[in-house]
Amino acid sequence: MKKSILLGIAAALLILTADLESTGAYFTTYAEAGGGMRIDLGAETELRERFSVWTKHISVVSKENSEPVFVRVKAFCGSAYQLVYNDASSKWSLGDDGYYYYQDILYGGTATEELSVKIQAERDGILSNLPADADPADFNVIVVYECTPVRYRENGEPYADWAVKVETGSTAREGGK
Amino acid sequence: MVKKIIKAPITSVLLFVLAAVLLLGSAVGTTRAALSYYSENYTSRVEMDSIGVSLLENGEKVSWRDYGSSSDGTWSEATGALLEHMVPEGERFLLGRVYPEELAVTNSGTIDQYVRVRLYKYWLNAKGEKLPELSPDLIGLNLVNVGTDWIIDEASATQERTVLYYKGILKAGDTTSPLSDTLTVEDSLAKKVSETTTKEGAVTTIRTTYDYDGVQFWIEARVDAVQTHNAEAAIRSAWGCEADIAADGTLRLRQ
Repeated sequence: MKKSILLGIAAALLILTADLESTGAYFTTYAEAGGGMRIDLGAETELRERFSVWTKHISVVSKENSEPVFVRVKAFCGSAYQLVYNDASSKWSLGDDGYYYYQDILYGGTATEELSVKIQAERDGILSNLPADADPADFNVIVVYECTPVRYRENGEPYADWAVKVETGSTAREGGK
Repeated sequence: MVKKIIKAPITSVLLFVLAAVLLLGSAVGTTRAALSYYSENYTSRVEMDSIGVSLLENGEKVSWRDYGSSSDGTWSEATGALLEHMVPEGERFLLGRVYPEELAVTNSGTIDQYVRVRLYKYWLNAKGEKLPELSPDLIGLNLVNVGTDWIIDEASATQERTVLYYKGILKAGDTTSPLSDTLTVEDSLAKKVSETTTKEGAVTTIRTTYDYDGVQFWIEARVDAVQTHNAEAAIRSAWGCEADIAADGTLRLRQ
């Protein structure tokens, strides 16, 4: 009789334990995802010049995988000469600081349109072509170009912050025929 | 006469057969009842099994885990990647630019649930190692609907981790309001620079090199869902936090 009671209690405990276990199990699930992006900073650009008939033909080339940049260019020469800029593409515009600004973003692997700088003699405010026999060793024309990374405003509009320059280059080359 | 019939052996046999028939009949009845009982119970279990949750990025399902309705314990799941389609084809990721990054959660099961999302963001170097010196705050995942639909668990927040709880019950088939809308990486990252000057022929070049060129930012979203039945105990057990559930089902974290 006593054995039966003990067996009964054991059975009841087993049933209760099983019940507790099922109460502790809850329905749950999950899902997850991750992702990232590499940030490539820095640009490698190059100034390309071609000289013919007292004119420098300038363009800036950005190497593959370079950061997108804005570009500006300025040329200097001695006081006896004047530089006349010519932009057939209409993509260069003169700023208040004397730099010519390229309006498009220069992406890696692309080049700007050409900007021509003609060297002319100035006498009494009158410009004239240099004589064919002028000695190229008499003058230097220095071209400076600067690149700044493209930045974006909150509304998505790109802008240039010229206080930050990713690359600055200058060329000092004597004129030539 | 009556006594004679009762005492006849054939009567005993007939009574025995009748008893056996009755006994069999009652057994069949029990079996039928048992079948019916288990059948109802089984149907109920199918409904409870179908918990499922999906993570959505810009309206597209990225990852999910949906338990099946069969009793074999199977489920359907997928783990996708975030930010795969963030930068348009042919372009590259740009600092300071605002990219759409709308994260939301769908209840892809058949029972109602509470959900939470744990967001992680951090930096990795080219070898895939964490860069603790770069602040996760530079990774600007803009959280929205906070306070209205989502609540942030400030107690478990770190610079790298943000835990958000959806306040309401997410009904089967429904999608939460977005918890983020855009992603922007601050361009202050590009301010740590050094300069090198090179001279090639007549050309002198001053080039800026960036200390953090080639680093990678990373974000993770981990979605958890739990049943609404006995929710407070379920949340405590599954997520290890204390929450109060109001009469209308609204979840509130106990701080």
